[in-house]
Amino acid sequence: MNAENRLTAPSVPMRGPTPVSGKPSKLKKLLHKDGTWAFLLLLPNILGFLAFTLIPVFASFALSFTAWDMLSPMQWVGLSNYTQLANDETFIKVFWNTIYFAGVSVPAGIVISLFLAVALDQNIRFKKFYRAAFFLPVVSSMVAVAVVWQFIYNPEYGMMNFFLDKIGIRGPDWLTSTVWAMPAVIITSVWKNLGFNMLIYLAGLQGISEDYYEAADIDGARWHQKFLFITVPLLSPTTFFVTVMSFISSFQVFDTVFLMTQGGPARSTSVIVHYLYENAFKYFSMGYASAMAYILFFMVLVITLIQFWRQQKWGIH
Amino acid sequence: MRMSRMLVIVMLFSLISAACSSTTTNNTVNTPSNTPDSGKKIVTLDFMGWEASPLETESVKKGLALFMEQNPNIKVNYQPVPGAQYAQKLLTMLAGNAAPDVFFLGATEYRSFQERDVLLDLTAQFELDMSLSDFIDSSAEIMNIDGNIYGVSSCTVSPVLYYNKDVFDKENISYPPSDPAKAWTWDEFREAAKKLTVKEGDKITQYGAFGLENFYMTSAEILSNGGSLFNADGTKMAINTPEANEVMQSILDLRVKDEVSPTAKTLESVGMKANQMLQTGKVAMVVDGSWALQELATMDFPVGVAALPSFQKSTTHGQAHVHSASKNTEHPEEAWKLLKFLSSEEYQIGLINEGLWMPNRRSLYTEEGIKKWYNEAVHPEGFKEMVMFFAEAEAYPFTLITENKVIDIINEETDKLWYAGQSVDDTLANIETRSNVELAK
Amino acid sequence: MKQIRVFKVTAHLVLLAGALTMILPFIWTVSTSLKQLKEVFVFPPTLFGERIQWENYLQISERFPFDIYFLNSLKITIIVVIAQLITSSMAGFVFARLRFRYRELLFGLYLATMMVPAQVVMIPNFIIMRHYNLIDTHYSLILPALVSAFGTFLLRQFFLTIPASLEDAAKIDGCTPFGVYWRIFVPLSKPAMATLGVFVFMGIWNDFLAPLVYINSQMKMTLPLGLASMQGMYGTDWPVLMAGTVISIIPLITIFLLAQDFFIKGVTLSGLKGE
Repeated sequence: MNAENRLTAPSVPMRGPTPVSGKPSKLKKLLHKDGTWAFLLLLPNILGFLAFTLIPVFASFALSFTAWDMLSPMQWVGLSNYTQLANDETFIKVFWNTIYFAGVSVPAGIVISLFLAVALDQNIRFKKFYRAAFFLPVVSSMVAVAVVWQFIYNPEYGMMNFFLDKIGIRGPDWLTSTVWAMPAVIITSVWKNLGFNMLIYLAGLQGISEDYYEAADIDGARWHQKFLFITVPLLSPTTFFVTVMSFISSFQVFDTVFLMTQGGPARSTSVIVHYLYENAFKYFSMGYASAMAYILFFMVLVITLIQFWRQQKWGIH
Repeated sequence: MRMSRMLVIVMLFSLISAACSSTTTNNTVNTPSNTPDSGKKIVTLDFMGWEASPLETESVKKGLALFMEQNPNIKVNYQPVPGAQYAQKLLTMLAGNAAPDVFFLGATEYRSFQERDVLLDLTAQFELDMSLSDFIDSSAEIMNIDGNIYGVSSCTVSPVLYYNKDVFDKENISYPPSDPAKAWTWDEFREAAKKLTVKEGDKITQYGAFGLENFYMTSAEILSNGGSLFNADGTKMAINTPEANEVMQSILDLRVKDEVSPTAKTLESVGMKANQMLQTGKVAMVVDGSWALQELATMDFPVGVAALPSFQKSTTHGQAHVHSASKNTEHPEEAWKLLKFLSSEEYQIGLINEGLWMPNRRSLYTEEGIKKWYNEAVHPEGFKEMVMFFAEAEAYPFTLITENKVIDIINEETDKLWYAGQSVDDTLANIETRSNVELAK
Repeated sequence: MKQIRVFKVTAHLVLLAGALTMILPFIWTVSTSLKQLKEVFVFPPTLFGERIQWENYLQISERFPFDIYFLNSLKITIIVVIAQLITSSMAGFVFARLRFRYRELLFGLYLATMMVPAQVVMIPNFIIMRHYNLIDTHYSLILPALVSAFGTFLLRQFFLTIPASLEDAAKIDGCTPFGVYWRIFVPLSKPAMATLGVFVFMGIWNDFLAPLVYINSQMKMTLPLGLASMQGMYGTDWPVLMAGTVISIIPLITIFLLAQDFFIKGVTLSGLKGE
């Protein structure tokens, strides 16, 4: 943010009355030095960071070039994990499943939450109630959500097909169909995260000055024109941020899939992290799983870089 | 700010009570330490198993109480772990030096665990106290890894055919035979299933048969048609044969063509387990593991047990989990004592008596032996004729290979067969190509 | 202003429909939890069965130690939240206000790791825990979570907004840097700390993957993991399973309703950070 505009603190503080002993002791000098405290206050954080974040990142990279099951000795295999992944039918399937999941759930979630935020921004009563209602799924644990929605998707007696029936559609066998299982997972995921993005949009909307709308009213603009030509463009930083964040988190989806469908039927809902988990903790192929993790990292990196460049280009921040 | 202050107070209070009660909880969870008698050192063994049902855990605990009576210097701390991912958890613990001393080990994981060198070699003690010939063929074949023993099983289980006698009586059809020598042929089975399926309007209110789409059961039928899953030394898939093809197609036709079988996942998602389907008469015949008898016997309806329908020969497969010890256990002698007890007639009978297990000791298949465990309240009329079905079962093929990815591949491909319209030819071909890749590793 | 009226009515309808979609599954869960199994499978669905089946709740509480799960979750979550607040504020302060060599480089490193997915560090962390025999202990869940690059980043950004004049005044009075931190920055950052705290709370409480990987024994399970294991056992006994679900989501929903403003502010703050 803004540059610090303060004086550099002197290593010996200027004080009013001179201490009786004259020159300040070495200890006191140390205590007031920035460097000392920087070290002390940063220490716990750095230690944790090194131990559980930084070193593991590199360790994981190294691991991805080995074959290891934690019990037998580690073997160096060079790039073979990566080449194997490129030819691994299952990995290719889960990769595209992940893209499918992200590609549908992110846009859907954003569009719906935008509309909801706009609706909520209309200065209506019960705002707090609506906010709370929409945020309820966000705070619930994924386990609870998975259990509940599994039942909702029950083909004979679940709520989903009940409502579909009411409008004359015969609902499919959601979670047991290789075609409909992924849409089911997507719907649940969008449902759960709607409130979160809605709130972010709400904050963004409140940053748009009323003046724009008033000017548009004077020009006789209809509501959809105001929406398309004022609201949406002015919200683009927010939209951008939400989109990038949503993509990154949807690449990492695991809980939903694991709990609702265990990746089935026939791996139609299995995603990268799910296959990663299986390889690491079911088959104990640590090297192979680490290679997968790095491919995931790369995907996230690409999206983040896009955000970074776009931000530079638009001169934001 | 009053709300937030109250929140903080609530949190602190909960934290304090959490700290206090976690210590009390630890005390109740740990086995209370006894005062050792006559100065003998008390050895505590950690015994881990899975809990397939509360009934089973009860039976195990009763057995352990008996063991502890007989061995006052050994304390067994039994910890059942909720079922799913048991093998992974166990392997993680073994990898992390936090392993239990003695534990259940699924027969299909036994060889792959041994390959990882985490199991205690029991061969020496085994040969002192017992012999492979004490056990039925399938059990012996499973336990024996290249002449060495790393685990001892206490029972055997096999797929069998259950039926609801009332439904059969209603439709005036004779029961399927228990005697494997007289087992129904597949066509006889199919005919009966058709007669037992009742349609009211366009909804089927009673199905003829269910359960064969579970590969555990499917594989038994493949074996009965002379097919096999793997080649002799377990290095390649041998499933893509006309025999297996015929079996899979017949089973698929039961549901898709003849409409005598409901979809597995749909019925299960309605909250009905196979047992309940049979009990309520929604399905007349169910193919399930012999372990189901324990619960079925308590369900208050006349259940019958029969040999599986046979294609060419009447057979089924058998397997059971073994009990093994961790290679790094600090008490190998006491661990062996427990393992020996767990495979003894004494311990087995308690669980066979309730219908959960079938014996795996030859001594329990003789006339006198059978009397020791046969229970009229549990074993239906005619069950005696079936007894040799178990003794002569083939070893469950998956127990003889070490690559557990194969089961996942088979489940994935058969899912496509049963639910997504993939042809039997493609399914078998895919299974073979994909599994061979894994088996070659 | 009819247009505005139409707007508002439409808005209300849309929101109402949306809110119902959000709440209906929860209502359904409670309703199912109070029925008997056979009453669950009726078409069309009913709200209540013959009688209120409280027994489901008793049954599930007897089979599963929800109190233990709850306390485990609470213990771990509170420790992590407090620890993260402390370490993040200290480090945030250093990055914002204290000069030393390589400061920007180090902070850049922190930022970089923020985009590393959790799964990348999951396996090495697991290996570390295994090496120190911490598998199946709560340490394995607490230790990696004590420090957070995100928390550090968040508080550093906030600290940058505190005017330098306050700090200078304190220094003139003879404050050590620690004093500046403790007496000025910390009290001023209560809102930011509260929102970070609430975020972390929600994240750790609902975390499923870490307990799934590390915890094996039932008595050490956290609430989400306990509920998942319950599903394994009672998979198709929906009323009992729903009773367990209700029990497991009540704590966080209660906390949410009590501290709603904090949650919401936290979300909006994190959203604005990106602009």
